Amino acid sequence: MRVSSGSNFAGRLLRRLGENSHLVDAATGQTLSGEEVSGLIIGFATGFLSAGLQTGDRVLISCGLSPASTLAYLGAMYAGLVPVLADERTLATSGDTLLTRARAKAVWVDKGVRCDWARKNGVAQIEGSFDPRPADSLRPAPCAEEDLAVLMPTSGSTGVPRLVMVSHGNLSANTEAIVRNQRLGTDEKAMLIMPVSYCFGASVMHSHLYQGGGVVFDSRFMFPDKVLHAINRYGCTTFAGVPAVYNILLRRSNIRSIPVLGLRRFLQAGGALAPEGVKEISDFAPTAEFFVMYGQTEATARISSLPPDRLGQKLGSVGLPMDNLVIRIVDDEGRELAAGQTGEVQVRGPSVCSGYFDDPEATERKFGGGWLKTGDFACRDEDGYLWIKGRTSEFIKMRGVRVSFGEVEGKVAAIPGVCECAATATQHPEAGEALALFIVADDAANIVVEKVRRALPAQWTCASVRVVPELPKTENGKIARSQLRMMA
Amino acid sequence: MEELLAKVKAAFSSTFDIDSQAITLESTPSDIPAWDSMGHVELASSLESAFEVSFDVDDLMAMENVQEICRVVQSKLAKVQGACV
Repeated sequence: MRVSSGSNFAGRLLRRLGENSHLVDAATGQTLSGEEVSGLIIGFATGFLSAGLQTGDRVLISCGLSPASTLAYLGAMYAGLVPVLADERTLATSGDTLLTRARAKAVWVDKGVRCDWARKNGVAQIEGSFDPRPADSLRPAPCAEEDLAVLMPTSGSTGVPRLVMVSHGNLSANTEAIVRNQRLGTDEKAMLIMPVSYCFGASVMHSHLYQGGGVVFDSRFMFPDKVLHAINRYGCTTFAGVPAVYNILLRRSNIRSIPVLGLRRFLQAGGALAPEGVKEISDFAPTAEFFVMYGQTEATARISSLPPDRLGQKLGSVGLPMDNLVIRIVDDEGRELAAGQTGEVQVRGPSVCSGYFDDPEATERKFGGGWLKTGDFACRDEDGYLWIKGRTSEFIKMRGVRVSFGEVEGKVAAIPGVCECAATATQHPEAGEALALFIVADDAANIVVEKVRRALPAQWTCASVRVVPELPKTENGKIARSQLRMMA
Repeated sequence: MEELLAKVKAAFSSTFDIDSQAITLESTPSDIPAWDSMGHVELASSLESAFEVSFDVDDLMAMENVQEICRVVQSKLAKVQGACV
């Protein structure tokens, strides 16, 4: 294992920042130059160390849609700490458990963000920014390529997400593959409306800064026109979003009358966008390329990407593996399948992570045997293009966020008046997938349905609640998921 | 106006699962964590069914805080009533 300052991913990224490496907060107009970004990353690193944190200590970083959380995240990594990323919006409810699970020594939040949950856990709280420091005042913490760089949460909405152990080598390998894949230049600027605690958001930020480009954060996508105007105002070249984002652009924005002619590429991952959506968006910015992509936090971020010039022939496919990854499709017994046959996608290569933090059993299930078992069903065509057929039956993906049916069913079954519940997924124009719930009720049907709808968390989209006399079950008493899907 | 505000608050309360007393005329998306892009769409749908109106894209863009939402709803209702006369 070779230990050097050069392996520290934040250090490598910082060395590559240039005159185009701005970080912008579109909501306030605050713009940091490349030099300021570099000084602030070192300022954060120095500040964290002065606060008594030591190499390998975990620090929870509350991620919002502004430059500050990126600076805190990279500063912590630069100092040799292990940042644990979490979406600012979910921390109020899951901060407690995440702190315990990550055994973090400290929490960083942006100025003005409340974190009562941290206070009662007795961990150090660090709020707001540090003063910038000169580039030569602190070297990046030496580390090996295999060393843990960051703990990334899987995209679970409620409950506690698993924490994926991402190494410095994983980050370099995936970032460089993305740069080659998207042919990113040194003058790029990404519009980011996702926090960096989501691996897709992180990958866009990493790849753009790594190439000496910049990132514009915009927290105002509830008013999509503002984001479209900001794309033009700041000269953004990349726009990234999950399917729900593109559906909002198509249905709930004035994209038809606000041309975004400076864009060079749209990036889409996090589930399937209908082919018509891809075509429509492409029509609004004919000079921009549209990248349909596939990835997982467990593989750092990106796994495959459809070359934009093959969009015409391969629309609906998630493309070819990144150039440093190997993909295989296997059956239930782990036997490799030929082209055209559907099975589970498995991945191997330098951006596949080593496992989940503090969870050897789940690690073995997902990463055992040298292949990442994605849990996605797909087939490959004769040209090697990957076509995703669906997720393994355990999860629903609403607005790009994965929630297990078990979690949904547990929550619904706990509602008074509900005897038993089974959940399945159904297609939904805006959320991607929505819940279809089947309930065996104790109370009158109409009362239970109303109670259930009220009790569901706001971030779960529910298409239907139906009261049934009994749930479809398999021989060993498990819910028969395939049958349920047919009923929805 | 008070009746309208109460209905708007009820829509917020049911969409975002929050206490309607926490909502004021000045509330903006940054005060309510669930009021993100998808939340905005869902809020609009519950307002549409509560008031039996329908919003166009420009209405959605104008709904930046509770006061603006009340204004947009009021102008929609005025149009509906105008059309009925």
